[in-house]
Formats: sequence, structure tokens, C-alpha cells
Amino acid sequence: MIQPQTHLNVADNSGARELMCIRIIGASNRRYAHIGDVIVAVIKDAVPNMPLERSEVVRAVIVRTCKELKRDNGMIIRYDDNAAVVIDQEGNPKGTRVFGAIARELRQFNFTKIVSLAPEVL
Amino acid sequence: MKYKLTSDKNLLLLLFFSRFGARSKISRDLWQSSPNANGWKCLNLSESYKLGRSIHRSLRGSLVVSPMAIGANTSQDTDDMYDDMFKKYGKVVYKRNDQKSPTAEVDDDAECLAFAVALAKIASDVKAADIKLLFVKPLVYWTKFFLITTAFSRPQIDAIRTRINDLAETQYGKFSTGDSKPNSWTLLDFGDIVVHIFLPEQRELYNLEEFYANATPIELPFENQQSFNR
Repeated sequence: MIQPQTHLNVADNSGARELMCIRIIGASNRRYAHIGDVIVAVIKDAVPNMPLERSEVVRAVIVRTCKELKRDNGMIIRYDDNAAVVIDQEGNPKGTRVFGAIARELRQFNFTKIVSLAPEVL
Repeated sequence: MKYKLTSDKNLLLLLFFSRFGARSKISRDLWQSSPNANGWKCLNLSESYKLGRSIHRSLRGSLVVSPMAIGANTSQDTDDMYDDMFKKYGKVVYKRNDQKSPTAEVDDDAECLAFAVALAKIASDVKAADIKLLFVKPLVYWTKFFLITTAFSRPQIDAIRTRINDLAETQYGKFSTGDSKPNSWTLLDFGDIVVHIFLPEQRELYNLEEFYANATPIELPFENQQSFNR
């Protein structure tokens, strides 16, 4: 359940460390975003000497949420943190590697690029 | 393994465990924490088994039968039933029904490989460079093959994409998800095969071959044009 003002970790090597959600892409008055949703975020903390800088506005895909994700077979997945991967306007990830486990639902939302860069898919 | 025994209850429990051969699973604490009322000492498990039998027989013979003994009798009946079932069926480990047999899986892989090679051939026809086919099934569960190619412009990417899609739809009846517009990294997802078409810069940036370096590269049966921009 990501909403504007939520802080998220960054799960890639794009150079950003922490994001803050400022808008959820989708319906006009959407309240919460979940795994696989695209958000507009501002970079609150960044790694020095990297292309992305603090206070830059970027798009990101949510890959992990503390709020549990339910599957049709009854499986429930819940992570320890909220994390996102920074993408560009075309949907390509800005980093070249994704860190940590991600859910296979991302593939259904057409983020197979992120899935193919991830070390572990749940 | 010596345990202090206190009451009939413990003895019958011991009988139960010894019948199933679960000696190692009996926690020592369980026995030591029980109050030491009678002070029977130094019985190992096989002795206690015999003792339990004899006590059981004596209980059967006596008129006064305690509820504990009745419970033990039924448990022994079920024990006998389990013993019979073990003798008859042995230890059965059930398999999930949705698993494919190894031969069916090999057939499936071969079919996917033929499809992947056909896609690679198409890409080669449209002058895509540096075509690599990787067998990633042992590394990731969500797909079987990666086809990685380089194209040098967006119109070329579009040409490769449309021709691959046409072939897949007409000859194999498969439809792709993924990018619907030419992109610097265009991805076509056919389920078992994922096609990546890169511009040369992006190919070097993301370096998927290095990330999947442990995957088995598959030799392609045609002349592979090497990238000349490198």
C-alpha cells in the first residue's frame, strides 16, 4: 500500500538510494499502489557521483511491499521493506542490475526486463 | 540411553515410541522432567518394550481395567494396523500430479529449441548481429531460452520484431507479450522463450550475457554476423 509521501528503498544500481512517492500512475484519484504499479517519485537520497541526483523526479515500479500480496492459489507474499526500481519513460530500467527477491507478478504486468535482471524470482 | 521411568503412563508412551523406532526423537528432557515417583531406574528401550508388553498382558487379565489401559489397547490395534499397512505397501512417497514426466519435459524442451532456432534464423535474415541463444532453464524457473540479439537502428528493431511476431503467430500459434513499440531494449516474451533485441549501446550497458554467464550457449546452425561496432 504505497501512497504519496511513502518512502521506498531502491532495489537497483541506478544511483538512487531512497525515493518518496508523489503520485500513482493509473486512475485519476487512485489511493494506493501495489506490486507492479508505476509511481512518480522524488529521489530523497542518492549515491554520490552517479547520474541520478537528489530531488530529481523519476518514474519507478514497485517491486516489494510490506503489504501482503495474495495469489489465487492461496500463497501470500510479504516483504520486509517497500522497494522500487527506477525506470525511464519507455519502461527500461535505469539501473543494470536488480537486487533482492521480486515477485513473478511483475512479468504479468509487462516488466519482464526487471524480472530478467533480478537474481531471484518468487 | 538410559531413562528413569516413573509410571505406567510413561511406560506405555515408551512402548509406543519403541514400536515406531523413533528412539532418537524422544527428548531426554521429557523424561527427566517427569516426577520420579517409583524410582525405577536403568531401563533401556528394548527392555522397557518387553516390560510394557508383560504389563499390558496382566492388565488385560485383570478385572479392574483403568482408562489408560483401554486407550493403550486401541492404540495398539491401530499400531498393528499401521504395521500391516507398512508391510503391505511399504513407505509410499506421493508425487504431485501436475509434474511432467522426464520424457515429456525433454520433448517440450526440444520443441522450444526448434522454435527458438527459427526465431534466431529470422533475426539473422534481418541482419541482426551477435545472435546468442542461451539455455537458461537450469538457472531460472520462469523461462527456458533467452535469445539475445543486437540491431543497429529502431527501424531494424521494428522489422525484427514484426517478422518474429508474424512467424510465431502463423507457424507456431504463439503470441508475444512485452514491448509493442520499438525500444532501445525491446523484449518479446513468448513464455518459454524471451527475445531481447538491443541497440549496441544498451547491449553493452545491460550486459545480459555476463549476468547469465552460467547458462549453456547453444550453437546456431547458420552463419552468425558479428557486431562490427565493437
